[in-house]
Amino acid sequence: MCANCGFPAAPGHWTEAGATTGPDRLRERFRRAHVLQSVLRPYGLTAYDGGLVPGIQISTLSGNQSIVLTLEDVWPLAERLTGKPIDPLDPRFTGDAEGRG
Amino acid sequence: MAAHSESRVRLTILGGYLGSGKTTWLRHQLHAGRFADAFVIVNEAAETPVDDALLGRSSKLAVLAGGCVCCTAKADLIALLRRLCDERSRTASTASRLEQIVLETSGLADPGPIVEAIRSDPILVYHIVVGEIIVAVDGLHALSQLRSEPLGRRQIEIADHLIVTKADVAGEADLKRLLATLAQLNPGARLSGAAMGTDVPLPDFHGCAPELLPVLPAEENRPPIFPTRLHLGEGVDWTAFTVWLSALLHARGDDVVRVKGVVRTPAGRLLLQTVRKVVQSPEILPEQSDDTGREDDTIVVIGRGYSAETLSRSLRHFAGAGRT
Repeated sequence: MCANCGFPAAPGHWTEAGATTGPDRLRERFRRAHVLQSVLRPYGLTAYDGGLVPGIQISTLSGNQSIVLTLEDVWPLAERLTGKPIDPLDPRFTGDAEGRG
Repeated sequence: MAAHSESRVRLTILGGYLGSGKTTWLRHQLHAGRFADAFVIVNEAAETPVDDALLGRSSKLAVLAGGCVCCTAKADLIALLRRLCDERSRTASTASRLEQIVLETSGLADPGPIVEAIRSDPILVYHIVVGEIIVAVDGLHALSQLRSEPLGRRQIEIADHLIVTKADVAGEADLKRLLATLAQLNPGARLSGAAMGTDVPLPDFHGCAPELLPVLPAEENRPPIFPTRLHLGEGVDWTAFTVWLSALLHARGDDVVRVKGVVRTPAGRLLLQTVRKVVQSPEILPEQSDDTGREDDTIVVIGRGYSAETLSRSLRHFAGAGRT
């Protein structure tokens, strides 16, 4: 449990199983925020993980911020903030449509 | 971080439609010593249990009667599993202790919600790993059940291993048609035949046309499921893959029935499996490749409502996204 934010430690979340050592874990968190950032940017959202406190920070362009504990929690939050689910099979990600926005 | 596979109890789920021969198969397997030292849980939807009498030889057996463990008796199952895990935790790891649980579901159970219940239980998630979902398929009656029963189809779609029972008495033409239908419903599952629980060879059904299953109200406008193999190797790392998969399961969890595969990460070889929207904590596999024929960095996605090409392009996009 982090005394500042009250998040209980959640070892064993499947998305974080790819790293066991401290440096690997930190590297994975930075890379995860980086991938998320480029996926969420077209939807007007930003993702940030400073590596110090648990969780991923998701913000809207208008400054609305939330912190989620795991990667899985990002998607329901993004759906709530943007009003629609972020579908990886959307033509935006698969290049199936021309002139997408 | 992820629990090591050897520290958790393996749970084998044995499902199948009513009268498909689950208990007969399990009784023979227990007799032959396949699930030696396993704790066997038998669930029956009816108030009066019968199966426990058939399985009387097993020394460690519990019966959950009067409700199906995927819905009404779910709380009983969770309580029983917690008790087993608690007893196991009190046993020294050097002593012989419970390593395997076999759950025979009632014929009315959908294995999906059972896996989901275990994954969402804050205690069981650290103690139990779902090893294999075995589904018994009635060699005589399955085709007619599949024509009308959405539950029968759901059970088959989710299986890792399909056992066609009564394979010795089913007519060869019908059996071939059933096998072709099963291969179409769940192309990712292993198929084997059984007669009174003993293995029997299955006929070659290549070239045999599958049964044209009518569209059921619940399945309306749903195309058939198919497997897609995705190679992660070039440029797709675990992090990009988890971002992609978690988003995919959130948006398309009803269409993606199963995801299975081994991924190489800095933490070792991870065996990943999902059942519908539920992802199991990955197991860390030994470094040397095993004899199960699993290929590293290859993921099989079984689902519907998309094309294999779209899936692959989407994954590449996510993997490339973080590098620009």
